[in-house]
Amino acid sequence: MDFKSVNDVQMRLEKAGYIPSKEISTVVFLAAATQKPVLVEGPAGVGKTELAKAIARSLDRELIRLQCYEGLDEAKALYEWEYAKQLLYTQMVKDRINDIISHTATLAEAVDRIADQEDAFFSERFIQARPLLQAISSAKPVVLLLDEVDKSDPEFEAFLLELLSDFQVTIPELGTRKAISIPFVLLTSNNYRDMSDALKRRCVHLYIDYPQRETELQIVRLKIPGIEEKLAAVLVDAIRRIRLLDLKKSPSISETLDWAQSLLALQINELTPEVISETLNVICKYQIDMEKVRKNISKII
Amino acid sequence: MVKLIQQFVSCCRVAGLRISTAETLDCLNQLQLIEVTNELQFRSALRANFAKSMREVNQFDRLYYLFFHEMRVDPADVLQSAALAEQIRQLTDIVKKKPHDNPMFDAVVDFIAGNPQALLKEMRRIQTASDFEVQPTRFNFGPLADRVNILMQITSTTAAIAQLLQDSSLDVSSSARSDLALHFNERFNAARSILLYEPRPGDENTKKVKAYEQRLKDLGERPFSSFTLQELEEMREAIDKLVRKLKNSVSRRFAVKHRGNLDVKKTIRSAARYGGVPVEIKYRSKPLRRSRIVTLCDVSGSVWAAARFMLNLLYSLQECFDKVNSFVFIDDLTDVTAVFEENEINEAIKFVLEEADVNYNAATDYGVTLRHFERDYMDLLTKKTTLIIVGDGRSNYMHPEDAILGKMRDRCRRVIWLNPEPEQIWGTGDSEIRTYMQHCHEVRQCGNVNQLIAFIEELVL
Repeated sequence: MDFKSVNDVQMRLEKAGYIPSKEISTVVFLAAATQKPVLVEGPAGVGKTELAKAIARSLDRELIRLQCYEGLDEAKALYEWEYAKQLLYTQMVKDRINDIISHTATLAEAVDRIADQEDAFFSERFIQARPLLQAISSAKPVVLLLDEVDKSDPEFEAFLLELLSDFQVTIPELGTRKAISIPFVLLTSNNYRDMSDALKRRCVHLYIDYPQRETELQIVRLKIPGIEEKLAAVLVDAIRRIRLLDLKKSPSISETLDWAQSLLALQINELTPEVISETLNVICKYQIDMEKVRKNISKII
Repeated sequence: MVKLIQQFVSCCRVAGLRISTAETLDCLNQLQLIEVTNELQFRSALRANFAKSMREVNQFDRLYYLFFHEMRVDPADVLQSAALAEQIRQLTDIVKKKPHDNPMFDAVVDFIAGNPQALLKEMRRIQTASDFEVQPTRFNFGPLADRVNILMQITSTTAAIAQLLQDSSLDVSSSARSDLALHFNERFNAARSILLYEPRPGDENTKKVKAYEQRLKDLGERPFSSFTLQELEEMREAIDKLVRKLKNSVSRRFAVKHRGNLDVKKTIRSAARYGGVPVEIKYRSKPLRRSRIVTLCDVSGSVWAAARFMLNLLYSLQECFDKVNSFVFIDDLTDVTAVFEENEINEAIKFVLEEADVNYNAATDYGVTLRHFERDYMDLLTKKTTLIIVGDGRSNYMHPEDAILGKMRDRCRRVIWLNPEPEQIWGTGDSEIRTYMQHCHEVRQCGNVNQLIAFIEELVL
């Protein structure tokens, strides 16, 4: 099921409902072929997360997603011991434990006996696998998405290094666990902060920018099938011009799609200054941006 | 191929990109997997390995174009272009042997010969030079002079090459001659375009963050009183953002710490209820430090410029902590907590400065203010309270009533006095700050944004 060539990637992603640029498909192919993680950067809403989903669909793999945030720790990302279960089991097998230590002469000997049984309590059974451990211990290869990895703490990043370079994690009680199958890893970043050089070195870098006009038009047609050809073209042109304005947050593809969707819902077939002005809150997320667009509305149409 | 990539990598390195050996190796490995003849794929592979952040993408593109387009001989006919490259090399060798005394001349000739490293290095030096040198007055004369020097070297090299091509003693056919001229021309153009290139931060998002931080830095050291109206507005936004950021980081930190490790003691105790079976698991938790803040802010004429800022600070604090009581005063105390709670920031400040029940014509009197506070609000001060007083302590020679401040201190956790005046003039004239100082845990100057920010950071974190 692996990708065979760059063109194969292109075709299969398109089939999965994602229209990649040549660069995206090349990088995805290379990452898949060399089993390296991809670090995806780009403005918000250009389809970074969507790419991961599309890859999962096209490879027919499960997508495991870990949303990163400040304060994310190993217990949330990797694994956690199930204390409740451990304690409950201890209670239930109390009699057995008594049996084991009933013939011992000294306390030290009793402790030794129990220590022999330690493995029973620190075993797979009591580990609760979080996304990262799930991803590497799954029998079938998966797609692992670490979303907004720039929001996580530097400590977490350091701990990702082991996972990303060797695909293994160390659990102190159990030892090192190697990946059963190598997952396809994607990390997305909004450039909230710079990732460390060590992490960047281990990844293949992909920068997704706002798409070319043709690509964007294709995406609109794909995602909003009901839209009229002419309206789609005008709409994409308008969005592209809005992007040229110096806005706090430029509209990206997701905004284009939202806009097209809402125009469709309002049954509007023509883009006039009034229509833009009325539906502006779909495209612009800030009051200042809206005013700026309104002021420059003659440039947009 | 390996050699070509190596050359490109060393070019990138002198131009400021950081490319490790491992990345070069990765790239070479990956190139075996794709169709190298497909330029899009080739470039994507290079870019994926060499430009590892948004900001580097632009520079990479420029270098790529320079190296693989402008510096290459037209690959239409391999044999012919090889011959051409050879001739170019010979010609530049001749030019290089000419007597000259400028090191940049070598760099330019190397560039023309297809080896752009030296020139790129020099350009990088010029572009980054201004970052390193701290000059009393900034002017761009140094970099400009350096650029002019390179331009002159390019011109003299152009002349030398042109002369050489005219030279009939050269063993080159006339068609090859015109080809050569064409190539040289292209490369000279490339050299000039490098000269004119100014690095721009690539991505809009990163650019904005930078600009904002830069502005904060520029405005940070200026006293509040010298701000224009627009700058005031901007700074307010900046401070607001900062406070929110701090607030977020605090809340997140507590959210994480809130649920700590397993609390064995408590778990066992609760297990006793179920015959020793630990049905309920207890975790250690870290309680939030619930601090209360009481602020007194002087809004009289002497601290007028700072007052707006301070009110802003009050407002932000109120959003940040769950219990804040805000007062403004001149000769008497006015409780503005409700105003801040109900109104949006600008309106609230406007309301306080224009409409609130404050006598703006009165002379500042700290004594009366403190007496009033003692009479009506003393119970606000508890062991958890931080009292922040903002003012210059200029009480128009009235009784300072510093004993009351002493009593207030005894009741609360911390007393902080923020004084917008520079420290040198504390205690001059009618300033009573030295009298009050002995009753405060901390008195700090807070006359510009940086000091204010430092204060907020310490307070919140």
